[in-house]
Amino acid sequence: MIAFRRMRPLLGTYVEVGTLTESNAIPPDFGSYFEIIEKVHSLLSFHDAKSDLSRLNGSNGQAVELHPLSIRVLKLAKAFSRASNGAFNPTVGGSLQKIGALPIHGKLNSLDFGDETDIYIYGNTAKLLRPIQVTLDGIAKGYAVDLAINLMRKSLSNGWVNAGGDLRAFGSVELPVQRRALSGEMESLGGLKEMAIASSLVRPAFDKHFPSWILSTSQAPVHKGVWSVLSKKAWRADALTKVLCTADPSEQTAILRRLGGVAI
Amino acid sequence: MSLNRHLYLIPLASISAISYATEYLSSEQAQKVLFPEADTFTAVPIQLTDEQKDQIKQLAGVRQRKSEVQIWRADKKGEVLGWMVLDEVVGKHEFITYSAALDPKGKVLGIEILNYRETHGGQVRDSKWRKQFVGKVLSDPFKLDKDVANISGATLSCRNVLDGVKRLLAMQKVVSFK
Repeated sequence: MIAFRRMRPLLGTYVEVGTLTESNAIPPDFGSYFEIIEKVHSLLSFHDAKSDLSRLNGSNGQAVELHPLSIRVLKLAKAFSRASNGAFNPTVGGSLQKIGALPIHGKLNSLDFGDETDIYIYGNTAKLLRPIQVTLDGIAKGYAVDLAINLMRKSLSNGWVNAGGDLRAFGSVELPVQRRALSGEMESLGGLKEMAIASSLVRPAFDKHFPSWILSTSQAPVHKGVWSVLSKKAWRADALTKVLCTADPSEQTAILRRLGGVAI
Repeated sequence: MSLNRHLYLIPLASISAISYATEYLSSEQAQKVLFPEADTFTAVPIQLTDEQKDQIKQLAGVRQRKSEVQIWRADKKGEVLGWMVLDEVVGKHEFITYSAALDPKGKVLGIEILNYRETHGGQVRDSKWRKQFVGKVLSDPFKLDKDVANISGATLSCRNVLDGVKRLLAMQKVVSFK
């Protein structure tokens, strides 16, 4: 078997799509796996002022018609926020804008954060019930990986997608995974098979050169370090890293188990 | 919950490399991927003068280090579809060779990574978690080569490549590609 893999700069990081094949030929439709990831990115990017997400955030409480994929991810984010009792909160955009972790399109006019009930969805439209800024960074990258995997399954027997550390593998492939610590040191984790893994880094302090940042909307502290979660789906693994780093250490295992993940 | 029973990673033979290199596409493959409709590719390399490099820096805000630039023109039935420019960028951990496809109007048609190399100062160590599985037998026949980089951790920004592409667009303005 030969590993055929391609990599493109997407989602603000490097995205690799690969498969094990018998032949040297470039598998057909390989570009479409990147295109679906690019589609999710263009719909749900907070940075892009024209994305579906930015239109919703700039809607001043008006109902906005959105792409079905955007609606799907908003619904997932709401449901997961409910299931995690708000530990995963997709409405923290305002706070992240204030510290410079997210850009401000137009005027900053937002609560620091709200909760999932502030996002009202009916049909293909969504509406913000309070002036909040929705951010789907904790889930959209994983969701993009899942969509690409679903598409790959239609024409390939195995494969994987690695979107800057959010990884998912399917079929017979067993993907060796290592984790990069904050120090740059690498740690072997094992082989990933029919599963997803996501990692989130919590730095000791906010650094404008690495603006990715996780904050807590409760009294719970955000624990420093690199947090990795295994789950069947990449969106869930992605979202669970945010739950993990704010969970009380004594409760982490139980909370993740309830939400369909395992911390490693 | 039964879902969690299956959530574990498979133990692997020890991996000791701390530098990874992955070749994604050869330059020739990249040409075909970036310009699938082209029937001919012609090498049209350029040699930049210091003055041109300064102009690129001014336009792009990023310094053009190399004077020699490898470029291929993609044609279809004698009509120019665009150019593929081969370039390199260096990041914090990574060294990347990539190709950008630019059309005659200066639009980016696509970007493909050709080579990705990542190096680390630290040793690779086995996680405590992994050690509990050492010695168990792997049954799966398909395994990737050991030194493959599948890294979960802090997401690396692709800004280096995007800055590189900006530099190539400036280059196209300064030197018209043949």
